[in-house]
Amino acid sequence: MRILIVEDEPDLLRSLAQALQEEGYAVDTAADGETGLFNAQNYDYDAVVLDVMLPKVDGWEILRRLRKTKKTPVLMLTARDQPRDRVRGLDTGADDYVVKPFDLPELFARLRALIRRSAGRTSNVITAGDVVIDTGARQISRGGQAVALTAREYALVEFLALHQGEVVTRTALYEHLFDENESTLSNLLDVHVSNIRKKLGAEFITTRRGHGYCVGGGG
Amino acid sequence: MIFQSIRWRLQLWYGLVFLALLAGFGGTAYDLLRSLQLRHLDGEIQRRMVPLANSLRPPPGGPRFFFPGGELTNSPGPTPGGPRQDGPRMGRGGRRGDQGDQGGRGGDFPGGGPPGGRGFPRPGEPGFQFRLPADQAALFGSESNSFYYVVWGPDGQELARSEAAPHDVPLPVAAEAAPGPPEPRMRGVFREVYHATPGGAVALVGRSIAEELAGLRLLAWELAAAGGVVLLLGLTGGWWVATRAIRPIEDISATAVKIAAGDLSQRISAADTDNELGRLAAVLNSTFARLEAAFAQQQQFTSDAAHELRTPITVMLTQTQTALNRERGAAEYRATVEACQRAAQRMRKLMESLLELARLEAGQETLQRVPFDLSKTVGDCVEFVRPLAETRRLEIHCAVPALPCVGDPERMSQVVTNLLGNALEYNQQFGEVRITGERQSGTVILRVSNSGPGIAAEDLPRIFERFYRADKARSGSGGHTGLGLAISKAIVEAHGGSLEAASQPGAGATFTVRLPGAG
Repeated sequence: MRILIVEDEPDLLRSLAQALQEEGYAVDTAADGETGLFNAQNYDYDAVVLDVMLPKVDGWEILRRLRKTKKTPVLMLTARDQPRDRVRGLDTGADDYVVKPFDLPELFARLRALIRRSAGRTSNVITAGDVVIDTGARQISRGGQAVALTAREYALVEFLALHQGEVVTRTALYEHLFDENESTLSNLLDVHVSNIRKKLGAEFITTRRGHGYCVGGGG
Repeated sequence: MIFQSIRWRLQLWYGLVFLALLAGFGGTAYDLLRSLQLRHLDGEIQRRMVPLANSLRPPPGGPRFFFPGGELTNSPGPTPGGPRQDGPRMGRGGRRGDQGDQGGRGGDFPGGGPPGGRGFPRPGEPGFQFRLPADQAALFGSESNSFYYVVWGPDGQELARSEAAPHDVPLPVAAEAAPGPPEPRMRGVFREVYHATPGGAVALVGRSIAEELAGLRLLAWELAAAGGVVLLLGLTGGWWVATRAIRPIEDISATAVKIAAGDLSQRISAADTDNELGRLAAVLNSTFARLEAAFAQQQQFTSDAAHELRTPITVMLTQTQTALNRERGAAEYRATVEACQRAAQRMRKLMESLLELARLEAGQETLQRVPFDLSKTVGDCVEFVRPLAETRRLEIHCAVPALPCVGDPERMSQVVTNLLGNALEYNQQFGEVRITGERQSGTVILRVSNSGPGIAAEDLPRIFERFYRADKARSGSGGHTGLGLAISKAIVEAHGGSLEAASQPGAGATFTVRLPGAG
């Protein structure tokens, strides 16, 4: 999962990015509205965390312009908790609204819910064959046995499972699982896929040569 | 209690006044009619009394027969038996008994005059016979509603009565005692006038006025009914008027209730402002508007203050929560603690600024009152900000003559630093900051202008507001609390001076400090 954070408070931006990375997300950051809007318009993020008060272009404007082209789930961060602000945010096209100061676990849960909903799912638990993925607890079990995965491996499995039955291209995987600082030329993806196959069975991920990877959906 | 409402009270008072007026009017009308009828009747009765009384022959030299308006009194009228002629003759006729038979002839006098002969027996004396001329006797009918008369002698013995006279007509008591002019009285349904002649005889003429009384009773009922209808109509009209008069008050009260319930945007609809209520509504509306504005400003301030505090708290929360999520190296913990420290310092600065502003605005901040030279303060401040100007490649031109004034040099240095900081901050590259000063008739003027982009016209009136930022996004960053200009203005005003801003967009901004000069 790849997330964009647009926040002008450097200390907050840094710690948010770090925390989300540690949660297994690929994280891009933008410290002003202009950069944020550019990134949001040009990449397919799984979610955008958007501060309202931003230099150059404010959060409302970014949201308004972004909504013309993209349906990316947007979570607004704001220090204003007037009901009219919330209403305005949700009406402008925000998918969720979190008031500062917030607790990180809550922010994470809301992000997960956002991503889940945008993938058309209502439950935290995804089943693919005998593999069960609990996106809430970020745990994977196979045949009832918990399987330990690294954060990146988990993110890969979750992304493929959320798009079960679809062929996901390598480009899409790179876009969603790696942030802009990581090289897309490396064979990092192949290494992760191979590790996952060792843990969850070789048939769990099917390779469509020249197209990408696929989980479930009858191969 | 519904009856305590103004409308009900108005209605009650109005109803009472109206009722009193109607009752007064009805009563007066009834009384007028009644007395008119009675007067007419009394006239009729007295017309009949005259011949009666004349028949009773007053004694010579006695008080004259007096009828107000009576055609026979004192006048040498057509009646031959008038008292004037009678008087002297009666005097001679005082010798009783000598002309006893003439009483009988008297009745044959033409014109209804009493017998004027002398020597007639007086009433009550033996031989006296009461006679009434036929044409005058015809005035007294035999019907139940016709006039009747009764005549008593001085001894109270009834001398004569007409046919229609009721059997129980009593001798008027007052008449026995004092002879005098005719007195009317009511006796049941009978209107009677009695007259005690000076000779002691009493004549009474009366008539049953049962019909008239019935008519009057009917009239009274009609008046009462009409009055009731008018009262009802009047009360309905009064209710309508009261409702109309009360409606604006109810509007005002309903609006006030809504406003009291928290909806400050409500206004009283005052279509017609040119009356008392309209003016009240206008006054209330302007009060509500000011209340709403003050409330909105207060709310904005609270919201802004909360906003300013929330950001550093968020930083501390996310920093610490992230750091505690797992084991970290010393460098990471250090970075976290440093970030927390920055956030805490920011909060402290905000708190101090807020408190300072609150004290200044409440007039609790004690300012020094010492003579000092503002130009020297400016010089110090320029030196203080020069490194910042150099890093931004900005020129500072300072040409300030000596500006002696009285006040708190430290506070004024805070103001000048704030103005210089803004002038540097909101500037263009290679721009300049110009500081000039002058003295003008006891006032010290200091101007700080820059070559920056200036202040937009819509921002200009608001830049001294707490937390107001022309650039919305500068929130908190760069150590700005958004209170600098508000504090500066408060400090200058606490010195009895003023701080104003002027700007031409694109041509920089000028802040002008005016202080009362020393000496």
